[in-house]
Amino acid sequence: MQRFFFNKRLIIVLITLIIGFVLVAFSVTVRNNKSTPPIIQQFGNDAAGLVDRVVSYPISAVGNVGGAVENLLNTYQENQKLKKQIDSLASEKVSNQTIRRENTALKKQLKLNKSLTNYTAVTSYVIARTPSSWQNQIIISKGSLAGVKKNAAVLSDKGLVGRVTEVNKTNSKVELISTTNDDADRFATTIITDDGSVNGLITSYNADTNRLIMGQIDSQKTMKKGDKVITSGMGGNSPQGIYVGTVMKVEKDDYGLASKVEIKPAADLTNLNIVTVAKRTD
Amino acid sequence: MRVSKIRYYYPLGLFIALFLDGTLSNIFAGNFFTANVSIESRLFLLWVVMSVFFAKVEHPFFWAIAVGLTFDLFFTGIIGPFFMLVPFILYLTRVMYSFFTPSFIVVLLIYLIDIALFTLLFYWINVLIGFTSVSLAGFISGTLGPTLAFNLAVFVILYLPIKGLMEMSSR
Repeated sequence: MQRFFFNKRLIIVLITLIIGFVLVAFSVTVRNNKSTPPIIQQFGNDAAGLVDRVVSYPISAVGNVGGAVENLLNTYQENQKLKKQIDSLASEKVSNQTIRRENTALKKQLKLNKSLTNYTAVTSYVIARTPSSWQNQIIISKGSLAGVKKNAAVLSDKGLVGRVTEVNKTNSKVELISTTNDDADRFATTIITDDGSVNGLITSYNADTNRLIMGQIDSQKTMKKGDKVITSGMGGNSPQGIYVGTVMKVEKDDYGLASKVEIKPAADLTNLNIVTVAKRTD
Repeated sequence: MRVSKIRYYYPLGLFIALFLDGTLSNIFAGNFFTANVSIESRLFLLWVVMSVFFAKVEHPFFWAIAVGLTFDLFFTGIIGPFFMLVPFILYLTRVMYSFFTPSFIVVLLIYLIDIALFTLLFYWINVLIGFTSVSLAGFISGTLGPTLAFNLAVFVILYLPIKGLMEMSSR
């Protein structure tokens, strides 16, 4: 009798382990498919998202008050600094408007209705962050009902923060650019240098120094510290012209062939409240 | 027959704790996930472990699997790790419980073992599926240490309130 129970327990453990690992393998494999997650999983996630909003609302409110007090303490110094910037900003805005108008007029003449820079913005707030060291992932409050698409680029007010990895009806998961996992999708980026643009891919992220590493660079043009990096719009997922960060260091890669560029990301990936999903319109 | 309130409070508290983990991780992301330190908040595990000692819960393994699956679906999108780990930790805690009489120190030590094992196994699964390439030494100093410190601090603060709540509603 004793032996029978021992065996029964062992079988339960083994079956659980097998089911668990099959599920893990399955979800890792189908993760980047267009059609996942299935409806039933979406339904579960939507229900969980609803509850999460209720739970997180009071906590976030308290957090916001804390942030507001902190902002108030810095107001004076900030005001001084901003006053200096405001004059130059006004003239820049006017010239910007003129150029934008000219651009639309020229596009109309060329019958160029959609280009790589066009996107519609879906604004949403961040419900939660995955409490795990191994996945830099946030959950945002808009899903397929609002038009969020899988693999779309996600940006904060300062710049690129990540890409959408899973879309449910009313919430989605966003993998931040600080993710280092093997199957993370790579962003195609362009460095704007003095003598033209240089294309490449964001290949990894260095967590110790908070630097994105850009590789696969095909050009020998000179890049220097401080050059701006934007998304190039190649690859079909992200629109062109989203600010990624600035070049900090240029060096040869491990094999001495192509260049490897260290980029300081513009967005603060640890302070995200409102994010925008950039849905390409072409 | 009188139905004790823990039947309703237990799942309610469990899921509130689960979603609080995500919210806290988002609000304090600047402190939780830095270059050298990353803290995994595991409030729901505290709730599960405390319930072994101080509450008479019906179908504890059902709720453990339910909360594990919810975590996997909602937070990570990788189904499996928590689905296996939460029931395992529950089982382990019940086994350890049978050798001791619960006191503050005993529960603290058992919770310490639980969190350490849980974090280690979760790290191991993530190494297997290629989601991280952090070395074991880097894991111990960067994640395990801070995670233990944070969760034990939370334990010390919440021990008496949760104990009181569970014993009261178990009657």
